[in-house]
Amino acid sequence: MINLNVNQKAYQVDADPNMPLLWVIRDIIGLTGTKYGCGVAQCGACVVHLNGEAVRSCVTKVSRAEGQKIVTIEGLSKDNNHPAQVAWNEENVPQCGYCHSGQIMSAAVLLREKPNPTDEDIDSAMAGNICRCGTYLRIRKAIHLAAELQRKESASK
Amino acid sequence: MKKQLHHKKRYLLPLRAVAVIGFLLSMVGIMAFGLNKKTEPIAGDTKTKPLVIKKDSVASVKAFKQVYTVLMSARCMNCHPSGNIPLQGDESQLHTMSPQRGIDGKGVYAMKCANCHQATNTPGLHTPPGNPNWHLPPADMKMVFQGKTPRQLAKQLINPKQNGNKNMQQLIEHADDGLVLAGWNPGEGRTLPPMSHAAFKKAWITWLTTGAYAPKGK
Amino acid sequence: MSTSNVSRRNFLRAAGLTGTALCLGFYFPSNAKNSQIVAADGAAAADIELNAWIRIDTDGKVTIFNHRAEMGQGSYQSVPQIIAEELEVDLKDVNIVFAQGNQDKYGSQITGGSSTIRGSYKNLLKLSATARLMLITAAAAKWNVPVTECYAQSGNVIHRPSGKKYHYGELVVDASKLETPKNIILKKRSEYKLVGKPLHRQDTPLKTNGAAIFGLDKRLPGMLYATVERNPRLRGKVKSFDDIATRKIPGVTDVFKVQMDVFNTTREGVAVVANSTWAAIQGKKALRVEWDDTGFEHVNTADIYKRQHQELATKEGLSFKKQGDPDGIIKNAKKTLDVIYQTPYQSHSCMEPVNCIAHYQKDKLEIWGPIQAPDWVQEYLSKQLGFPKEKVFVNMTFLGGGFGRKAFLDYPHEATMISKKIGAPVQVVWTREDDATQGPYRPGMSYRAQGVIANGEISAVKFRMAGQNHNHFMGGKKDVANDSTAEGFLPPYFETIKNISFSDVPFETPVPTMWWRSVYASTNGFAYESFMDELAHEAGKDPLAFRRQYLKDERSQRLIDKMEEVSGWKNRKKNEGYGVAITECFSSTVAQVVKVSRKADGKVKIDHVWAVMDCGWYVNPDIIKAQVEGSVVMALGAATIHEITFKDGLVEQNNFYDYKMPRIADIPPIDVYIMENDADAGGVGEPGLPAFAPALTNAIFDLTSKRIRKLPFDMALV
Repeated sequence: MINLNVNQKAYQVDADPNMPLLWVIRDIIGLTGTKYGCGVAQCGACVVHLNGEAVRSCVTKVSRAEGQKIVTIEGLSKDNNHPAQVAWNEENVPQCGYCHSGQIMSAAVLLREKPNPTDEDIDSAMAGNICRCGTYLRIRKAIHLAAELQRKESASK
Repeated sequence: MKKQLHHKKRYLLPLRAVAVIGFLLSMVGIMAFGLNKKTEPIAGDTKTKPLVIKKDSVASVKAFKQVYTVLMSARCMNCHPSGNIPLQGDESQLHTMSPQRGIDGKGVYAMKCANCHQATNTPGLHTPPGNPNWHLPPADMKMVFQGKTPRQLAKQLINPKQNGNKNMQQLIEHADDGLVLAGWNPGEGRTLPPMSHAAFKKAWITWLTTGAYAPKGK
Repeated sequence: MSTSNVSRRNFLRAAGLTGTALCLGFYFPSNAKNSQIVAADGAAAADIELNAWIRIDTDGKVTIFNHRAEMGQGSYQSVPQIIAEELEVDLKDVNIVFAQGNQDKYGSQITGGSSTIRGSYKNLLKLSATARLMLITAAAAKWNVPVTECYAQSGNVIHRPSGKKYHYGELVVDASKLETPKNIILKKRSEYKLVGKPLHRQDTPLKTNGAAIFGLDKRLPGMLYATVERNPRLRGKVKSFDDIATRKIPGVTDVFKVQMDVFNTTREGVAVVANSTWAAIQGKKALRVEWDDTGFEHVNTADIYKRQHQELATKEGLSFKKQGDPDGIIKNAKKTLDVIYQTPYQSHSCMEPVNCIAHYQKDKLEIWGPIQAPDWVQEYLSKQLGFPKEKVFVNMTFLGGGFGRKAFLDYPHEATMISKKIGAPVQVVWTREDDATQGPYRPGMSYRAQGVIANGEISAVKFRMAGQNHNHFMGGKKDVANDSTAEGFLPPYFETIKNISFSDVPFETPVPTMWWRSVYASTNGFAYESFMDELAHEAGKDPLAFRRQYLKDERSQRLIDKMEEVSGWKNRKKNEGYGVAITECFSSTVAQVVKVSRKADGKVKIDHVWAVMDCGWYVNPDIIKAQVEGSVVMALGAATIHEITFKDGLVEQNNFYDYKMPRIADIPPIDVYIMENDADAGGVGEPGLPAFAPALTNAIFDLTSKRIRKLPFDMALV
């Protein structure tokens, strides 16, 4: 049995310790917001936060995550209201939407570490996330907006 | 021209500070040489464990040439790029998705090395190779291999301003550093360095203990 | 839609199909061309099942059934946006669900050819307006007031003089007893409150918190997971396999040979069934299969193009369209431009790899998956299994990209075969490598273009194409020209270019090919609009002015005006390369201008892309802009980054490491403009793609005098 903490909830899973975290989250725990895209850390569709870092869950063995803090897209915010989620909605970013769980999870790390990112920062942070629908320009716009929302949010606190 | 080696109490530094130093980087205290000479020996550090230095410029340069073939192989050079983006593959192409070095060499934001590079190699072809301490040299000590001539590289390796102030002993020990060894465990489908680790280590130590002469030329 | 047929009484009494709900839809008697508006009552009386686009429950809940796939192009928003407009409901109060596959009910559901809006908007407007009028009529009767004193708003009918109101739920029972009204008066475009507005998509919130259920996310009780190791040569069979190692993997429950149809051919593989996706993937890796690869050619990319070029050098091909005497002019011309263009095989590479759930039971089959053509899947599988169509239920999930790939029938068929064998619901997951290596692909094409310029004018143009014809895979006749031979080429050119011909030199390989976003226009457009540029230069004319000269119709002229204005075409500076291309497909025309320059390191970079879309009547301008932006990005990848190649019959690309994708830093600024006119609605999802590649290479020519005729090319090497 492996003890996992996903979205602040404790799980005990019976899985091969070598099983990638992605499949544990999707097939055993049943949270399907985290996506399979490539299986080899090329596309970023499977990004979850492991102790706050944007790990590619498709190549992260579940054993690495044991006892650590895991956050998936479902747990990023209570009510779809993380600044990145709000901005994604405001800028109409998704088309098919499949990659955006990963995109948003990546953006969230950027926004935490660089609250006022430049275009260059966005490129550096988001280059690991592929979007086949080509929503990249809107992702950029939404991250700038999210940064602004985040600033307003912290100013009002 | 010889200069006294620097000595710093490297081992008293926090573990993190040590850890940020990359492959072949934890080398202390070997000074630069005069630029006007064609071959220059290095002196040992008198303040640490005594090292036997038997100067032999011919043997030293010969050993370095072997060392150089290893350092310039894809397995070593890929993480010692001339820019801030690592290289990848046997062809040493720019790393897809352009991960950035970052201040500590461990990437930036959502693109930190360890987000994909696990503690061990991920099974399969074209999967991220792994190491618990995967990183590039840090921003303040980039230790570039890519594009360096043998002479430039030799001088850089022993220049304390470029190598992070390591002493001779640490230089020698560095041959067994975890990330150095990772070059010989590169994951499926990747070419090994051009000689065994034992042969490399022998050449490395020979180069250093015969005076760390830099080859002639540019 | 045939309005004259609406008169037929089609109303259900009391205990209708849905009991206490008003259900409105069309009835497609035998084909989609003549549709009738029906309410649930009439449907039952006439013994037909209603398509039910709109359903209003007695509690006022409005459900809009989206009959088309949502694969990013926005049908989930645009279909309800149309319905809500004439129905007078607020979109936020509407529940949107995907309709099941059923061509008899919904007409064609194939989400392809950019057809969702252009194919059904008139029907949907009329349907919604009919429902509204019935609800108003029911309210007026209840109040005993003239219908003209009542109006509908936000799901209510209001009596204007008194301010009394009923919500729709209170009216559905009465409304459902009414005759469907004739002579529906639709709103004027200027009266629209929703249509034409850049409303937020209803599916976006679901796509930012992980709630949207894609094919891979669907779960059924007792469902198993399967992978399939398929013959890597696309056509071959399984000779034998060793599954000893596979069966040792914990979680693997079954291993067996499986066949799937790829149109008229069969592909074989070995299925691994397991209790998790990971176990199934591991089991597949552990398989050892010996393949039978006899009986078909093992292709090599270089040979494919060599053969195409040889054919184009010697054969006239099947004439597709011809006017005047281009051959005579070319024969006697002093100088003829005579060039070859070449475009690569392409993978769709949807972010959601191909997958499908099938649950085969004794007398019925249910399918869930990312499916572009649920009606085809229903019809096809019912034939395959010998089940009546009504026993085959095909459910669309959200699609993580489609681009044509998910209109193919192979993967639902394969999933069905696996479920049938194991007697349980199963989700068949294609790995990224399966998705990349198994096709079908956009076909690699070669074009020969010949042209004569006399006195600065076009005197003759002759195009020949050689490349695989999708129709052949679907049993089409091989002695007729590919019906897409001229796709992408602007129809108004035929008014001004008096001597012109198009022909198709039939070409075959065993590689399965399939529609890929904008289909043949995506490759034709490169050849035809590159050649227009070459002709313009040969004539010594400005490429945009040259097109203006040959596109004399009003719509094209306005489009060019707009393009000229927004791109600053006339104010081009030195050291800037500008290229233009204009293409038409699926009833929409798109012009693009690309601007390039050299970076400090000497490499060419794209500075800007301007696109002008003329799609006539439209629903949601923001979705249109998004579609064009995305089309440009997809075209950028296809033109400069990736291609599928073959070596000894094997596909050489496997995953995103060798079939690379454009990433965020690669994308230039893209500005999209939409023309305003009252023409019929055109397509939106695809027409933005074809013009990009030629606009880019034309811009590179403008900057460097290098003519790029082969895609993909490496921007770093220009």
